[in-house]
Amino acid sequence: MIWSKLSRNRLGLIGLAVIVLNVLVALLAPFIATHDPLQIDVASQAAPPSAKFFFGADEYGRDIFSRVIYGTRISLYVSVLSVLFAAAFGVVLGAMAGYYRGWADSIIMRCMDAIMSFPAILLAIGIMAVLGARLINVVIALGFVYVPRFARIVRGSVLSVKQKEFVEASLAMGNSDAAIIFRHILPNCVAPLIVQATANLAYAILAESSLSFLGLGAPPPAPSWGNILSDARNFMLDNMWMTIFPGLAITLAVLGFNLLGDALRDILDPRLN
Amino acid sequence: MEDALNIEGLKTFFYTRQGVAKAVNGVSLSIRPGQILGVVGESGCGKSVTAFSILRLVPHPGRIVSGRILFQGQDLLRLPAREMRRIRGDRISMIFQEPMISLNPAFTVGDQLIEALRLHRRISRAQARDRAVEMLRQVEIPAPEKRISDYPHHLSGGMRQRAMIAEALLLNPDLLLADEPTTALDVTIQAQVLDIMCRLARELGTAIMFITHNLGLVAESADRVAVMYAGKVVEEGGVADIFERARHPYTQGLLRSVPLPGRRTGQGRGQLYEMSGLVPSLFDLPPGCAFHPRCPRRGEACLREEPPWREIGPGHRTACWLEEADAAPGQS
Amino acid sequence: MIRYLARRLVYLVPTLLLVAFLVFFLIHLIPGDPAVVMMGPDASPEDLASVRQALGLDQPLWRQFALWMGSLLKGDFGVSIHTRRPVFQSIKERFPVTITLTTLALVFSLLISLPSGVLAAAYHNTQKDYLFMLGTILGVSIPGFWLGLMALLVFSVHLGLFPSTGFVPLWDDFWEGLRFMVLPSITLGVYMAAVVARMTRSSMLEVLRLEYVTHARAKGLSEWKVLTKHALKNAFAPTLTTIGLQYGMLLGGAVVTETVFSLPGLGKYLVTSIYMRDYPVVQGCILFIALVYVLINLAVDLFYSYFDPRVSYQ
Repeated sequence: MIWSKLSRNRLGLIGLAVIVLNVLVALLAPFIATHDPLQIDVASQAAPPSAKFFFGADEYGRDIFSRVIYGTRISLYVSVLSVLFAAAFGVVLGAMAGYYRGWADSIIMRCMDAIMSFPAILLAIGIMAVLGARLINVVIALGFVYVPRFARIVRGSVLSVKQKEFVEASLAMGNSDAAIIFRHILPNCVAPLIVQATANLAYAILAESSLSFLGLGAPPPAPSWGNILSDARNFMLDNMWMTIFPGLAITLAVLGFNLLGDALRDILDPRLN
Repeated sequence: MEDALNIEGLKTFFYTRQGVAKAVNGVSLSIRPGQILGVVGESGCGKSVTAFSILRLVPHPGRIVSGRILFQGQDLLRLPAREMRRIRGDRISMIFQEPMISLNPAFTVGDQLIEALRLHRRISRAQARDRAVEMLRQVEIPAPEKRISDYPHHLSGGMRQRAMIAEALLLNPDLLLADEPTTALDVTIQAQVLDIMCRLARELGTAIMFITHNLGLVAESADRVAVMYAGKVVEEGGVADIFERARHPYTQGLLRSVPLPGRRTGQGRGQLYEMSGLVPSLFDLPPGCAFHPRCPRRGEACLREEPPWREIGPGHRTACWLEEADAAPGQS
Repeated sequence: MIRYLARRLVYLVPTLLLVAFLVFFLIHLIPGDPAVVMMGPDASPEDLASVRQALGLDQPLWRQFALWMGSLLKGDFGVSIHTRRPVFQSIKERFPVTITLTTLALVFSLLISLPSGVLAAAYHNTQKDYLFMLGTILGVSIPGFWLGLMALLVFSVHLGLFPSTGFVPLWDDFWEGLRFMVLPSITLGVYMAAVVARMTRSSMLEVLRLEYVTHARAKGLSEWKVLTKHALKNAFAPTLTTIGLQYGMLLGGAVVTETVFSLPGLGKYLVTSIYMRDYPVVQGCILFIALVYVLINLAVDLFYSYFDPRVSYQ
């Protein structure tokens, strides 16, 4: 049913296609890349784009094309895992807060508010600053920062569904709280959660590349798109291509998720249009 | 004295993805100066769209397709936009069904009244304020000098509607379009608000086009009645004509299904009469007379051609083939 | 109104405490001994001990937090390990740069987003609307730091229109200062402009459906007046909330933008301090920025009731 509506939304389909493209590139990276992304070749330092180096070479003579291809893996890895992390914790916390109300609600939501009191990137930077630059830490940092968004959505849905009569009926029949939450209440949250998740995947890619650009993300020499751009800074004055391609890669990937997310939002919650 | 309003053959269609909805499909009616015309019919029969067409505020994807709307002799449909804007709110004003959502929640009641005044007249803010307070007093809002600084959500439904009436009559318009003005109010307040509206209008000489689906209210307040069905007027006449001498089967059905005190229902005992069938979809109107699928007395002609107007009494006319049949010699 | 304000402030206190605790706790997340991490493995035991004492690391957690909060409330944000200057001083010196950047970005963003959002709603479902949507989607997809780099390359290096680094305070020399700020503030403002533009459009669309808009037209107001006075005032309320939230993006984005354009602001200070492992500075900056963000959102909440008077009576 969702598919039939989605197939009529041109932009959404384009977004989906872009995402699929990214996934394929990430999966088939070893077959698509022309070089080893970490291979240094000092002789080819800052080589311009050519048949050998499609996107040119960076200051260490590494093939930018291959680095961008492998960079797709890092972006998808970080974004998917961090969103899963955030969603898992967010859903549980939000459901608990909405269902049990009282103290649990107050404490959980205050904590969520506290996290949201920080600009997202700032908190991520702070966490990375203390944990150290490792890919898994990026996942943890971003996941942590995004938990409140999911928690709020779930809590809101739980609150509104809880009042409906079938919940009372279900309780009267003796169903456990957990069963009620999972089987009756959560299915109602799926739509806004999906919309939030696609939006978050987009943010996560942007965030990861920003963190890497600052040197607080994927540790070099990992070919994260942000790293490639950061490396390019010293040489970019005469070698614009070093910055164009990785930047385009980021924009394209994020665009894909945003287009799909928009289309999904129109379909699942047209009111927000 | 010419008519205040004279609509001739108005057609307003909505062009949607599902097809063309003929919301107003050839409406003709007239209102004399100072008169109250009740326009009644079920939901979806085109009453509101007619009113919006008069003000040329038909929302997208609707369009006025043909017809003439003569206001004091001038065809409104031919006026340039700027002229039309001058008429809106000043010579013709409108009040809406739900006062909660038709008053802007971000501005005080006073702001909105003063805005209306200063838009069309050259007076100072202070003078406008005084006139606004005076008008609020006229609509029986207690302590108007205080109320004028209130936001709409501070007032009760009845008071909000009275404020709307005050705003609508503030500039002494010649015609007031009242679109279901009491429907959203508590029953106990409906009569009160309606009374204020009609009384004030009479004092000012304002004609009213009173749109409603509630026949009872029309019986009390209107001078003349136009009954609409599926985008057309099917019967028009004085209040007495309609309520005591209705000829169109639809009108008769409507009257039978409303329990009015003092009138006996069909069975005489308290069983409500129900018209069979449903209002037709405006996308797919039946051929001939739009009412024929539900008409208990339909004939051959009704399925094929739209019935013409026929005068059945002074100022009382209806569009029904049965009238033709009666008028033709040798038929019964 | 006062009661509303008071209630909001009271609600704020536990949140602020948690915010402070989060920042405080950050240091304790450092794997290993924070003192060693900060001073390096070759530091002498005395240096390590003095660092530990300065940070209060030799005390139980709750006492540390209490002491830390105590100093905070006195305005003492700690002392930089490397410069030995009070963190608050350094923050005070650099904050004007960041505020100039974010404010200019905000102004630019609003100038673009509000009118275009209103117009997009007015031209709903036409080609102009479609272009608008494409533009905004692009705006939220382009990474800010890349936009900054490209802008630098094109406008500063190749076209020579604007300087590529440096800062002149606006209050010293307005036009010269503005020249330095054009590229960074536009770069920073693009994302927010896109988000606010969309929010404005969708908010306007919702409002334009409502009956008081038809009523305003029925009064004889010109379409322009209807849009800007009646519709926008109501539509602006949710947009205002978005603006407040997006200011956080500005503050966070400032960190990146300042790094790209080498502006001597808080953001760059934060990043440099992270490289140098100067954790008291890191904590101080993060806390300060968070507080600014909280205050801005509080102000937004107060302004909200001007645009939607129904709110203060809840």
